[in-house]
Amino acid sequence: MNRQDQEAYKADYAQAKKEGKPFFPYAIYKDHVVAVIVFAAIIGMSIWQRVGVGPPVYSASSTFEPRPEWYFFFLFQMLKIFKNQNAFLPVIMATFIVPNILMVLLLATPFIDRRAERRISKRPFALSVGILVFMGMAWLTYQGETGAAPVGGGNALTFTGITPGSAAAAGQAVFMDNGCTSCHMVKGVGGQVGPNLTTVGTKTFSATYSGKLPVPVPGVKGPTYTGTGWYVLHTQCPICAKPGSGMPAFASLTPTEYANLATFLNGLGTTYK
Amino acid sequence: MSTSNIGPKGPVTKTGEVVIDHVDHRTGAKTGIGWFLNRNIPGETSWFQTLGFAAMAVFGLQAVTGIVLAMYYKPEPTQAYASIQDITNHVTWGWLVRGMHKWGASAMIILVFLHMARVFIFGSYKYPRELTWVTGAILLIMVMFMGLTGYLLVWDQRAYWATVVAMNITASAPVIGPYIADVLRAGPTFNAHTLSRFYAIHMLVIPGGMATFIGLHLFLVSKLGISEPPWSKRATRARRAEEAAARAAARDRRPQGRREVSVDPAPQTLNVEAGQ
Repeated sequence: MNRQDQEAYKADYAQAKKEGKPFFPYAIYKDHVVAVIVFAAIIGMSIWQRVGVGPPVYSASSTFEPRPEWYFFFLFQMLKIFKNQNAFLPVIMATFIVPNILMVLLLATPFIDRRAERRISKRPFALSVGILVFMGMAWLTYQGETGAAPVGGGNALTFTGITPGSAAAAGQAVFMDNGCTSCHMVKGVGGQVGPNLTTVGTKTFSATYSGKLPVPVPGVKGPTYTGTGWYVLHTQCPICAKPGSGMPAFASLTPTEYANLATFLNGLGTTYK
Repeated sequence: MSTSNIGPKGPVTKTGEVVIDHVDHRTGAKTGIGWFLNRNIPGETSWFQTLGFAAMAVFGLQAVTGIVLAMYYKPEPTQAYASIQDITNHVTWGWLVRGMHKWGASAMIILVFLHMARVFIFGSYKYPRELTWVTGAILLIMVMFMGLTGYLLVWDQRAYWATVVAMNITASAPVIGPYIADVLRAGPTFNAHTLSRFYAIHMLVIPGGMATFIGLHLFLVSKLGISEPPWSKRATRARRAEEAAARAAARDRRPQGRREVSVDPAPQTLNVEAGQ
């Protein structure tokens, strides 16, 4: 908007005010009508949909459910889209880059769109961007609401190569009991928040971590963690093993449980199919 | 002048006037309130221009219900869950206050997004209201953080794990991410202080920031005035008059008997011509 447009707007707005009416009572009256309707809706919803309390934290039934409130579904859903950890779509896109770009664009909107035109019918670009952002957020929110709900259990899953009583069988039990399938899919069972682990054993991981393991596991020593050792480190401290990981740390298992879980994961897709 | 103004003033009226004059003389409060209430707004405003006020009213509702909840809530990992159950099941009207706080949060998110959509479609963020938009965008971000920090306080399974994931996401941000996560969590992992820290952020830090920015936002809205809907009758009339005047001016500038060269008599074209 150049100086001339600015002066023209100011003159036009001064004219609009001159021909207008006082803020009190006209605007105040409309504001309060809407506010009363909103309050009535809030009270109505609180009566109609009584708010409850879920199971307490650390309850025995570990129903790990990493679902935020509905207004964060769009971010949560974005995390699912970028879960494929390839070089072009890293998780950091969903957790940091895209949200921050959106935030900067939001703050900078009036400095990007500086044209004088205000009628939406004459602002096709602004209109399309607005519709795109709105539809995108609505779609992501809807997907987050209806999309694959975290799945617990899945004990019925059977793997070839796992004999009852073996370390891998115990590891599978640890995997199922701690709600890992809430985020990770294995052989078609589980959520889509984290990577699919069906064939995770075919990959080789390695990490260098000089700190101490939160829960020491016999036979697992740093600073270089590979094979089952890497899985132990990753379970206890995901970001230590994989910078940028969004997975919560599971640091309350026993050393044996860690070892068994690592054995199970390291063989997924290779020994255990 | 109404007829009640006839005759000598009673002592109560006189005292009241003295007190009001005393305060106004030192603060300018009367002038300020008069400036706020009696300023003119454009004659034609849309019902969609009430959403900002509605959001502010819900902020007030959240403050009041939040204060009541704070009287019964215990930000202690061992007691939080029990105190929430107590509020929901035993405290008189507790279920309603908690329900209103929770539904109020959702209403707030919806209202601020609708308000933003209204401002965007009306083009109200344009000159001279750019900074009003910026303060509003900061308020939107703070509202989201309110939702994030409030969610944990229920201290049930879902709240806990969702916040654990959110903190891990924060920690995954480059360079400063781990430090921010450590500050929010009061340490490298979730611990006994995390809950009280979220409680303090939720009820002291962000509300303080929001109150400040609502003040700024409101001051700018009052100072710059409520924008006029771009398709209002007056604006359309003014635009038509301007276009007619521009056409007339273009006609007058043409030598007699010459045909019009430009078929588009838009003012921009004329400005260029005028500049040459």
